[in-house]
Amino acid sequence: MVKQFAEWLSTTSPSVFIQNHNAWVIPAIQSIHIIGIAVVLGSVFMVYMRILGWAGMDQTLRQTTTRFAPWVTNGLYLMLATGILLVIGEPVRELVTFSFWLKMFLVAVSAVFAVAFQSSLRKNEQRWEETLVKRRSIQGLAILTFLIWVGIIILGRLIAYDHIWGPWSPATKA
Amino acid sequence: MDISALLKSLEASGLATKIRDSVYLFPLLESMHVLGLALVFGTISIIDLRLLGLASTQRSFQRMASDILKWTWAAFALTALTGSLMFTTNATVYYHNFYFRAKMLVLALTGINMLFFELTAARTVRDWDQAPSAPRAGKAVAALSLAMWIGVICLGRLIGFTTSRAAAAPPAPAGVSFDDFLGTPNNSGGTPTTPAPHK
Repeated sequence: MVKQFAEWLSTTSPSVFIQNHNAWVIPAIQSIHIIGIAVVLGSVFMVYMRILGWAGMDQTLRQTTTRFAPWVTNGLYLMLATGILLVIGEPVRELVTFSFWLKMFLVAVSAVFAVAFQSSLRKNEQRWEETLVKRRSIQGLAILTFLIWVGIIILGRLIAYDHIWGPWSPATKA
Repeated sequence: MDISALLKSLEASGLATKIRDSVYLFPLLESMHVLGLALVFGTISIIDLRLLGLASTQRSFQRMASDILKWTWAAFALTALTGSLMFTTNATVYYHNFYFRAKMLVLALTGINMLFFELTAARTVRDWDQAPSAPRAGKAVAALSLAMWIGVICLGRLIGFTTSRAAAAPPAPAGVSFDDFLGTPNNSGGTPTTPAPHK
């Protein structure tokens, strides 16, 4: 079904436009997409480093998230917009892959973590600053969520190489 | 030893052969390359925005630099290492690729830009460490840095598009063909609208 949808999408006029100009449109959108992920990764990295106590210790956790959260949010909007354009431009290449859907699942997991963290910090600011940030389990969670971001980036690139998943890749099936 | 012989011997090296022969290694190297460059640009832009007075303006510049730049360098090392390994797999083609050369040139310019910073604004850092932005030279370096790193990313992406078969380029020289490890991935389902996978 996804494949039918992708094939239909590839016949629509926005998709045809991108396909006809793909020599520069696709690399341009991909470059903006990569700049977006750099902004997001750099920003979440600084928040995780603050939680781990490895950077930004002259700032409170709240100051750190106030500085970086808007960059994460706006960076994600940029990625969403450019990501949608990439899907429109090359529907089958993007959608009929294992990497894409695993990546989307991890993006959803990351978003849930980020929203939960932000709302918890807002409600229990003092507790976060004084005790939670030093807790091993929280620090472990910070490392885990950072690794999810790493996974998202790797999977994003692997969309171009979906055959490495062998039978897991829908592209290898007839 | 002239350069083309050097490039050929890089391509013929055991490491390059191993990467070419593997289904997984090149995609993984490329993924780690993207990861590294994302951290490089992500962290450098935090410093550049601080110099420009656009973000983190209330923080000590030196404190931020010592917090952040070690990670930038670590990420740069990862990016350079994975980039070099990818280069060896098809050295001649990359060496003659316009975007590859342009990227190396801009990378060199970012180094000169950094050196210029050390010789100018960094010398008086004690005077402006707590100020909301750097003096004019520091701001110029920061703006150039942002522009050049964005350029490096765009050029890097263009290398992938102009050195693979997606660009409908003439076939790569025998023995160093990317097609060997790209395989014939996703046309078994008969999807005529699918372009060949991009590098």
